[in-house]
Amino acid sequence: MAALPRRIIKETQRLMQEPVPGISAVPDDSNARYFHVIVTGPEDSPFEGGLFKLELFLPEDYPMSAPKVRFITKIYHPNIDRLGRICLDILKDKWSPALQIRTVLLSIQALLSAPNPDDPLANDVAELWKVNESEAIRNAKEWTRRYAMDN
Amino acid sequence: MEQFEQLLTCAICLDRYRNPKLLPCQHSFCMEPCLEGLVDYVRRQVKCPECRAEHRIPYQGVQGFPTNVTLQRFLELHIEITGELPDPTSGQVMERCNVCSEKAYCSFCYHCDKKICDECKGAHMEILRREISRINNQIRRGIHRLQDSLSLVEKNTQNIQTNCLSVGEEVEEIYRRLTKALKDRTEYLRGEIERYLGTELRTLTSLKENLEQEISNILSNCDLADKHMNENVDIWDDCELMDAKEIFLKTIEFIRNFEYENTDYSRRIRLILAHDPNQLVLHVAGYGDLNIANSNNPFSQGTSTGLLQPPGPGLMRSKSDHRLAFRNQDQNYERGYGDQESEPVLGGRKFGERATQKGHGDRYGYRGGEYGGDDYDHEGSRSARSKYSSRFRRRNTMADDESDNETRGVRFHDQQQKTQERERPLDTEDVTKGPLSGITRLADSPRVMKKLQENPTGKKKEKEPAAQPPKQPQVVPKRPPPPTTRQVSEEDEISRIKKQNKGATTSTETATTETRPATERATVEERHPVQRKTPAPEAQSSAEDSEESSNQQQQQRKSTVTPAKTPPTATRRPSDGAHKKAARSASSDSSSSAESSSSSAVRSTGAPFTTEEVKQKYLSRSEAPGAQTKSFQSRFLNKPTPAASVQSKREEEESETSSEEETESEEESDEPSSKKSDEKMAKSDIGPLLARSAHARDSGTDFSRKTEQSPINRSKYSTNEEPSSRYGSRRRPNSASTEEEPPRYGYTSRFLNKSKSSAALAPEDDDYTTPRYDPEDSKYPSGRSKYMALKERRQRLARSRSSQQFGADDDDNNDDSSVTTPISPTTSNPSAYLASRGYGTSQSAHDLSRSRSTHALKSKDNSPERSSAAEKDGTALSSWARYLKNKYGSRSGAKDKDPTSTSGASAGTQGSSSSSSAAARRLSLGLPLRSSTELASSDDDQKNMLGSPTTPTAATAAGIAAAAAGTSPRSQYLQKCQQLFQIGSRGSEAGCFTWPRGVAVGPDNSIVVADSSNHRVQVFDSRGRFLKEFGQYGSGEGEFDCLAGVAVNRIGQYIIADRYNHRIQVFDPSGRFLRSFGSQGTSDGRFNYPWGIATDALGFIYVCDKENHRIQVFQSDGTFVGKFGTMGTKEGQLEHPHYIAVSNTNRVIVSDSNNHRIQIFDVNGKVLSSFGKEGSEDGEFKFPRGVAVDDQGYICVADSGNNRIQIFHPDGTFLRALGCWGSQKGEFKGLEGVAMTPDGHILVCDRENHRIQVF
Repeated sequence: MAALPRRIIKETQRLMQEPVPGISAVPDDSNARYFHVIVTGPEDSPFEGGLFKLELFLPEDYPMSAPKVRFITKIYHPNIDRLGRICLDILKDKWSPALQIRTVLLSIQALLSAPNPDDPLANDVAELWKVNESEAIRNAKEWTRRYAMDN
Repeated sequence: MEQFEQLLTCAICLDRYRNPKLLPCQHSFCMEPCLEGLVDYVRRQVKCPECRAEHRIPYQGVQGFPTNVTLQRFLELHIEITGELPDPTSGQVMERCNVCSEKAYCSFCYHCDKKICDECKGAHMEILRREISRINNQIRRGIHRLQDSLSLVEKNTQNIQTNCLSVGEEVEEIYRRLTKALKDRTEYLRGEIERYLGTELRTLTSLKENLEQEISNILSNCDLADKHMNENVDIWDDCELMDAKEIFLKTIEFIRNFEYENTDYSRRIRLILAHDPNQLVLHVAGYGDLNIANSNNPFSQGTSTGLLQPPGPGLMRSKSDHRLAFRNQDQNYERGYGDQESEPVLGGRKFGERATQKGHGDRYGYRGGEYGGDDYDHEGSRSARSKYSSRFRRRNTMADDESDNETRGVRFHDQQQKTQERERPLDTEDVTKGPLSGITRLADSPRVMKKLQENPTGKKKEKEPAAQPPKQPQVVPKRPPPPTTRQVSEEDEISRIKKQNKGATTSTETATTETRPATERATVEERHPVQRKTPAPEAQSSAEDSEESSNQQQQQRKSTVTPAKTPPTATRRPSDGAHKKAARSASSDSSSSAESSSSSAVRSTGAPFTTEEVKQKYLSRSEAPGAQTKSFQSRFLNKPTPAASVQSKREEEESETSSEEETESEEESDEPSSKKSDEKMAKSDIGPLLARSAHARDSGTDFSRKTEQSPINRSKYSTNEEPSSRYGSRRRPNSASTEEEPPRYGYTSRFLNKSKSSAALAPEDDDYTTPRYDPEDSKYPSGRSKYMALKERRQRLARSRSSQQFGADDDDNNDDSSVTTPISPTTSNPSAYLASRGYGTSQSAHDLSRSRSTHALKSKDNSPERSSAAEKDGTALSSWARYLKNKYGSRSGAKDKDPTSTSGASAGTQGSSSSSSAAARRLSLGLPLRSSTELASSDDDQKNMLGSPTTPTAATAAGIAAAAAGTSPRSQYLQKCQQLFQIGSRGSEAGCFTWPRGVAVGPDNSIVVADSSNHRVQVFDSRGRFLKEFGQYGSGEGEFDCLAGVAVNRIGQYIIADRYNHRIQVFDPSGRFLRSFGSQGTSDGRFNYPWGIATDALGFIYVCDKENHRIQVFQSDGTFVGKFGTMGTKEGQLEHPHYIAVSNTNRVIVSDSNNHRIQIFDVNGKVLSSFGKEGSEDGEFKFPRGVAVDDQGYICVADSGNNRIQIFHPDGTFLRALGCWGSQKGEFKGLEGVAMTPDGHILVCDRENHRIQVF
């Protein structure tokens, strides 16, 4: 295992020193490229009050390629599938090396605030979100309460 | 400020900008690795991470984007404001690490000669550290060899000192004797002259007086007659007249008849010299020469007692490493240091500087001359000698080539600079350098000192260059080195200056600091060769010294060389011997019958000087003048002490095995001279004799006085004769006559004393320059009396002879004694033996006044005296003798009836037969046994000795050298004939075996046994007490199926050949399973009934892949490394190789079982040698199985078909065998593995007896 690039070290340090409100990312003890992330559900969203666990892995060629991020906590969201995979452009083609862990997590947090059913990953959720947004939101709240609040 | 910093931070690497490039979108990023990483090579685009704008990449790549100069200024400004250190990597270009292929700021790694990233470099340095500590361990373990050598050198120093001292004393003694002889003789001659003058004068005076009286009487008579006869005075009666007439008639008769014997008194005394005075002076002037034996063997050196092997390339191979290294060093002196070509250990560069790039193996070659071993040398085809020199050369040339490469290579631009910077702070020129190996003392290196100072807690190994933290170029100028100690090649110099010029823009600071050292370095450069030279001659000379000393010793031992210096051997000639005999018999006249018979024999042979002899006899009997008697007396009484001291001294010398040719020649010249001087004496005595005859004719005034003297004379002579008679009887073993020593000494000393004048005899005998005895013997007809004479002389000669002759003498003496004396001296009785022992002790006590009783002399015939000398030679001899005794014990014991000889080793040494001990001595001195001519004359023991395969080869000598060094495993092996103890019997309980196969030596000499059919490994302590066992039947981890070979590596791990599971298993020292590798098959890393197994110092595992007829080599982790051997009978081919052993010189010894031979490979599988064929003679095998090798390279083979253990010299020559079929102690049934413990025990796996035997 090659040593950690300076950038990762720097990012990690900064995450520790200046944590983003509502987001905590802690590197794993055994693997500094693996982060245990907890994102609070943004206010004024169906996910408010929930603590969503994610895992974040910095691939070998980070920052030239995007980190791999996945929700561990189940979440009812049109852009997040049942496996926790996230449909977010910056994690895919829109990735830029100028982005960082914190920006990615902020983006994810923002995604929770603003679901984008037009670019769905979980089609059923997206469908419901489009057809019956209130029910979808209710579902989301329900899931949040059920999965993201009982720890 | 924070924002300011943020502006200076690259968005990609989140670091301070390095070489910021401005994209057309006005965003800036570091060129490397940030912008590089953004490149979309397919589309030749770069997408701005900030704004996602896509830009075409310029033709020349991302470098083509303009540098953001403003940003750079800001960066500089920021640095100025904050004072923070510049980024160490700025100005560097990222490259792909050559190891992990990551892009990083690479620096040059000297470990792998590649540019690699810091991480890999750190890992490599870690490897290096470990390697160093491992090698260091090896060095620690091996250092004792140097220490042994040191003690040897010290011993040699002592030897040479004592040698020189004794020679000096001898010269002094000779000088005293010469002067004394000269003085005595001069005084004697003077006295004679005076006496002669006196007596002549006296007689002349009296004659004159008488004549005068006669004349006056006659005249008065005449006057009276004239006056009174004519007067007719009747005063005369007739009677008176008649009387007067008668008187006058008588007078006239007297006058007529009186005749003055004029000749008597006109005789003139003349000094008759026995020799031409000029020649005499010449002889005295050159009465001795010092023979400093020259080296005829370029390989011999002082540090290891005599590499006595003939320089045959085949035998060279067999030498153990340290000898090779020594030789290596020697050659180093001879050529390398001599002509300034060879270079010291680090290839001439300084510590920590590495201008050269070495392959892995060669680096090991660099460290430690001792390890400049075969291991890494792949040019085995050449002879060892050329190999070694060439290796040295090769290194140098390699160093040169590579340094050239580097200085010229464009590619290494950066590295070069770095290299130079690395070079600068160090120098080892003024550092303590090992004069032999050229290894520097690291602690003295300024660089290392600095390191240690900086890092006081640093471990020792941190001194090694690899341990140094990678230096960054900017750091270096801040600690400029002591300029005077720098040494750089000129090319380096130039290139550096160039570089400075080039890099002036970026690092002006550096340039200024560098230029100064540069010039200074240039000046140093000039001085440098001189510096370099100085250590070399010293080393050379020291080497030569040591070499010389050893050579000298060897030479002295050998003594077959140096024909010029060989003794004149005047006495060798039969006539001389006879003459001598005659002389002696003349002087000792009525001595023993033997003597007289000898003299008669002499006479019958028609020896010259018989007239002299007669005269001498006459002289000795007739009344000698008082003065002469006196001189004789003084000679007899005064000389003994010095003579004795001389002889004792000689004996000491001889016992120290450093007898000189000079001594010999002296002694031998003594021999002829003794006779010669007698003869001369006879000649010079003619004068007085004539005088005496004149006296006799004279009127008898003196007569009464002379007759008075004569009884005294007689008595004195009778005392003289007494010792001589004893002399004759001396050969009878039991004539104890200690009181008579002084006279006997007088006797010998007289002989010795007069010797000097007789040197004239030597020239005519020049053709007898060979010191060997056999021609002489052949010249001597087999006359018994002559033998006696010879023997007598030899006894004396033997004392001063070099060992070979000594041995020869010994044999001759043996023969002689057995021939001549009715009671053979070999049937030595206790008293003689005791005397000889006492003799030995007094000898060791340097007791000059030690009495050489007849016993002692007799003991010269017998061995003990020599054995005592041998004892002084060191344990090697005695043990060797012990071996001989063991081996030929029955014979020598039969010959030697001394009861003590059988009891105890030392007693055995002393009591063992003289021939064997002589042979032993010769062997221990590294001398070849004598040629067959001598052999023919030697007794049976001797022949057996020679006939045996132990006839000393080079290896024997080497072994002896090793033995002499105090580490004498060989002699240990030689002693081995009895089992020490045995372990186990059939069974499956702890401590029992069922068909044990492999055996190995573990830590603390523990005994590790592969208990094959119990499917377990048992471990015993060095005394055979059960310690532990592990393993059970099965094919899982830690389970065995009829395991065979077992080996223990350096760190105590057990490596087991799990035979029927076709795998190797490794267990930790506590017996826990670690890993296994291999499975059944024929491909690499697979096995077909792996059998024997071995590891080498580096932990490589060698497996006898029996049914694949090959050896496979693995790393300690089981990684396949290589294989060698195919099915067949040719060299390098194998058929059912069973067991394997690896020596510490990395010779891989394989029991090629079905080919009935042992093959020795190097680590690469190249055959070095092979020995043995099918048979049951010594050195032949039937299905050899277990092999083991000790740290001296001795090879132990379990000759399973012959049910014996054979031990071989490192070169494969047979040393000895032991054991036979049976189930008693020391007997075998079905041998399997063998092992040799560091303390010299041999462990033998006696399979069908289900036991381990230890010898």
